[in-house]
Amino acid sequence: MTNDDIQKIIFDALAMANNGREADSQIPLSTETQLYGTGGHLDSMGLVSFLVDIEESLQDSGIYISLSDERAMSQQNSPFRDVQSLSGFIVQLIGEN
Amino acid sequence: MEVPKHILITGASRGLGRALAEHFIHRGDFVYGCSRSDQTLDAENYCHFKANISSESDISEMFSKLRKQTKYLDALINNAGIASMNAFALTPLESFTKIFATNVQGTFLCCQKALGLLKKSANPRIINMTTVAVPFQLEGESIYASSKSAVETMTRILAKEYGSFGITCNAIGPSPIATDLIRGVAIDKIQNLVNQQAIKKMATADDVINLADFFLRPESGMISGQIVYLGGVS
Repeated sequence: MTNDDIQKIIFDALAMANNGREADSQIPLSTETQLYGTGGHLDSMGLVSFLVDIEESLQDSGIYISLSDERAMSQQNSPFRDVQSLSGFIVQLIGEN
Repeated sequence: MEVPKHILITGASRGLGRALAEHFIHRGDFVYGCSRSDQTLDAENYCHFKANISSESDISEMFSKLRKQTKYLDALINNAGIASMNAFALTPLESFTKIFATNVQGTFLCCQKALGLLKKSANPRIINMTTVAVPFQLEGESIYASSKSAVETMTRILAKEYGSFGITCNAIGPSPIATDLIRGVAIDKIQNLVNQQAIKKMATADDVINLADFFLRPESGMISGQIVYLGGVS
């Protein structure tokens, strides 16, 4: 799975999140998009829902990884802060898998 | 006319799970069932998955297949469960492990894996199964009742965490019903239990179905985190 594939999965999950959001609070589909934390578009349950959608898309491609393990939650620089960091985190997890 | 629902029932091959599956199949809903055994129900609107609910890989595989069958789930009914009667001091660790793996871990995994499908439903519901052995604190049922206590707490907390997705989560605690789960329990013991209920008679699968129907109604969207026992047990 390439970086582009992973980014597409992330954007698909963001598009799914946008389905349930008002027109004036749509999340931009960009690598710079802030996801969670200061300036992020997602609250804690929004993040959960978003990560579940990504995990399921990965599972449908035969990749079984857990994005919300304790390590991710305790990292000083959260991998969930923006699209780019999340994409890098997924690449790292797949590499370790 | 009501729109058919997409419902996943664990432990659907016999007992209460089968009765629930047959009810929803008859009503025209799309029913997905799982059990350790091969398919025993045959209907156009029924799809069976062979899965051991205590196995994470089996559950992951089942949900992968399920996502190919349906884009959303209206209800998850965590019915699969095992019981074992024994004096606490004599209960082998193996029994403890097996009961918790099925009743607690199985419910946990299914609730977790079903989130993605449930949140795409207009009226998503989770129904867990508990037992009157919890409020009765039945001797000889310490491990089974403890496992169901865990399910009850999980139900209440899940109601809060999944509430933001519009998912309600409730539990049904049947009073004694003649199913495989209580086969082998002495009749006088069952009668003694029934005599402690406000409504002193055995329950039937229809009593559970009635309550499940109630939780699944679109109008029941404000009812969550509730543990409802049959027979007037509280």
